[in-house]
Amino acid sequence: MKPGYYFWSGDIAAAEGAIFAGCRFYAGYPITPSSEIAERMALRLPQVGGKFIEMEDEIGSIAAIIGASWTGEKVMTATSGPGISLMNENIGLAAMTEVPIVIVNAMRGAPSTGLPTLVGQGDLMQAKWGSHGSYEIISLYPDSVQETFDLMVDAFNYAEKYRVPVLFLIDGMLAHMYEKIYVPPEDAVERIERKRPTKPPGEQLIYEPDEDLIPPMPRIGEGYKIHASGLTHNEKGYPELTPQAQERLIRRLNDKIRKHAEEIWKVEEYRTDNADVIVVAMGSNARAVRTAVDEARKEGIKAGLLRPITIWPFPYKYIEKYAVDYIVAEINYGQIYHKVKEYASGNVELLPKMGGELHTPQEILHALRRYKK
Amino acid sequence: MISAGKKSTMELLREEVESLLRIDRLPHVWCPGCGIGITLNAFLRALIRAKIDPNKTVVVSGIGCTGRAAGYVNMDSFHTTHGRAIPFAVGIKFARPELNVVVFSGDGDLFAIGGNHFVNAARRNHDILVIAVNNFTYGMTGGQHGPTTPTGAYTTTTPYGNPDRPFNIPHLAISLGAPYVARWTTYHLMQLQNSIYTALHRKGFRVIEVISQCPTVYGRRNEMKSPLEMMEYFRKFSVRKDDATFDEMELTYNGRIVVGVFRDVQGIPTYEERYNDIIRRAQK
Amino acid sequence: MPQKNAPPKKRGTVKIMEERCKGCWYCVNYCPTKVLVVSPRLNSKGYHPPELKEEPPDKVCIACHLCELFCPDFALVVEELK
Repeated sequence: MKPGYYFWSGDIAAAEGAIFAGCRFYAGYPITPSSEIAERMALRLPQVGGKFIEMEDEIGSIAAIIGASWTGEKVMTATSGPGISLMNENIGLAAMTEVPIVIVNAMRGAPSTGLPTLVGQGDLMQAKWGSHGSYEIISLYPDSVQETFDLMVDAFNYAEKYRVPVLFLIDGMLAHMYEKIYVPPEDAVERIERKRPTKPPGEQLIYEPDEDLIPPMPRIGEGYKIHASGLTHNEKGYPELTPQAQERLIRRLNDKIRKHAEEIWKVEEYRTDNADVIVVAMGSNARAVRTAVDEARKEGIKAGLLRPITIWPFPYKYIEKYAVDYIVAEINYGQIYHKVKEYASGNVELLPKMGGELHTPQEILHALRRYKK
Repeated sequence: MISAGKKSTMELLREEVESLLRIDRLPHVWCPGCGIGITLNAFLRALIRAKIDPNKTVVVSGIGCTGRAAGYVNMDSFHTTHGRAIPFAVGIKFARPELNVVVFSGDGDLFAIGGNHFVNAARRNHDILVIAVNNFTYGMTGGQHGPTTPTGAYTTTTPYGNPDRPFNIPHLAISLGAPYVARWTTYHLMQLQNSIYTALHRKGFRVIEVISQCPTVYGRRNEMKSPLEMMEYFRKFSVRKDDATFDEMELTYNGRIVVGVFRDVQGIPTYEERYNDIIRRAQK
Repeated sequence: MPQKNAPPKKRGTVKIMEERCKGCWYCVNYCPTKVLVVSPRLNSKGYHPPELKEEPPDKVCIACHLCELFCPDFALVVEELK
């Protein structure tokens, strides 16, 4: 895409951002409100020599991108809540076998079929805990079309660097909302590639981690005789069904993210200096909060906005940093609220909405007025 | 032709089989007399004879007894999730069409939990060879009935006999347009090996069903208590009939097993080939 | 092409990797010259592997390699005697 200004929806920005980041393989299954990502990829990927395939379902889609990632491609799929529910088993496979993949989830009203065309934020916990077992993923959540595009580069960089699934959250509002967006020149961003083996085939163990706990990743067809299995495995990649192997592997899979959490955290702190009360909000919902904070400040309420852009690993140090009361405004019945509560020293209030619409600035302002000193 | 001191073709083949196994993992997990090892042996020999570069070959398995096959081949190999071997393989093949992609998995994995992927991958004609080991049961979990268990068979979840109707796999594959469809039993050592050899030279979605014995959890509940009794069943009840009708391909409880190459057509474009056209059009 | 003389009768021997054997005895049953028998020995897993028991001149390994193909456990190697 030529550098310059465009008028895009969040879905188009997600697709274009992925291509800009180096994504050349997409497998997906249409679902509202993410379908336009698939449509854009179908149009654009073959133009840049990439591959697009519409699979028979979401399970097939994620299986296909995991397979394709082993060939060295940067890969992506996109879906919405019901599709993530179907993909979860293979998100576990990608986490267990350390395969870089990016999954976009355009969150809609939920559970079940819910509100297909309307906004929701009910999948925040699912993003972290969707598959069975203790594992870490990375999850990012932008609040604008521009940030969707820009953050996609980070999503691929994280997936490649840490060999981990990245769940890229947008929401029904952001997915379908059009905004003016700037596409920078190709060389304006840093693109990270996965670490490649330094030893020749035969000497390189497939799952031998470096100092940073991340093993280099060979490609299919290079003679490394990769064996990857969702079973608990040792450094050779061979199944080893013992408590000792489980301890070693699962601890490392979690620690490789936890120990790098601060490099992964992205948080917007808006007017949080000297604040008495801070609203925690994410995605498109944070936009109303920004307006409400400005209004509240005019009324003499020392309000601020803390917007986690990295949802997982949860940027808890930012919550701990402020000795204030928190309001958590989210489009669900309390999810990130529990994480904030875990780390806040003051009072934490939940301002929920079940889905279908965002908070209005007035609703946020109304809640903030209770904190007027 | 054997000259003194030189190794014969068969001896060299056996040596190469050894080099294509992860011998540090043997003995494998399969039970005494299990047919999966026989099928794996036939596959490796066919691959060697076909002179296909093992470094450009990928074996993808799902879950279950046959799902463990990927863990024993000394090539790029993936033990994926239950039912997902085919879409995983599709991703590999579509991303790198120059690779030789083989799905080696079981009947429950490919046709029950993974049935939708089988159907759609065959329809799209991905260039993948599927070796489907059919042992009539879910062996790894203890012998429950599956999508291929013959009607009337006894399993741990059909204690009064199986009321289900089994898949007719060749019929299914042919109806989906798969260009190469064959069925053998593990008794058909050379026919199976030759069939895999042929299929490795074909393009498109190739399906070879291998009727295999599970003496441990299937045979012993169905009047075939030992590996040998199961093998003898295959020997005595198999009939080769390449032009069999779909009805003749049906498998019945301890009944006749019609084997053969039921379909072998060439020239149907694969998905990967058709997508090359898409790339050309997109870049015009 | 003129017919060649009948080839010399092939002879072989069977190398048995006893630790890989699981005692299905396909090899014993399907050996065309019946030179493999169940040995009284046990391997470490408790299976009786086969052993080669030839009775020349007729009951000998003819290096047909069939046991190699039947063996589900990759436990047999036929070596041809030249």
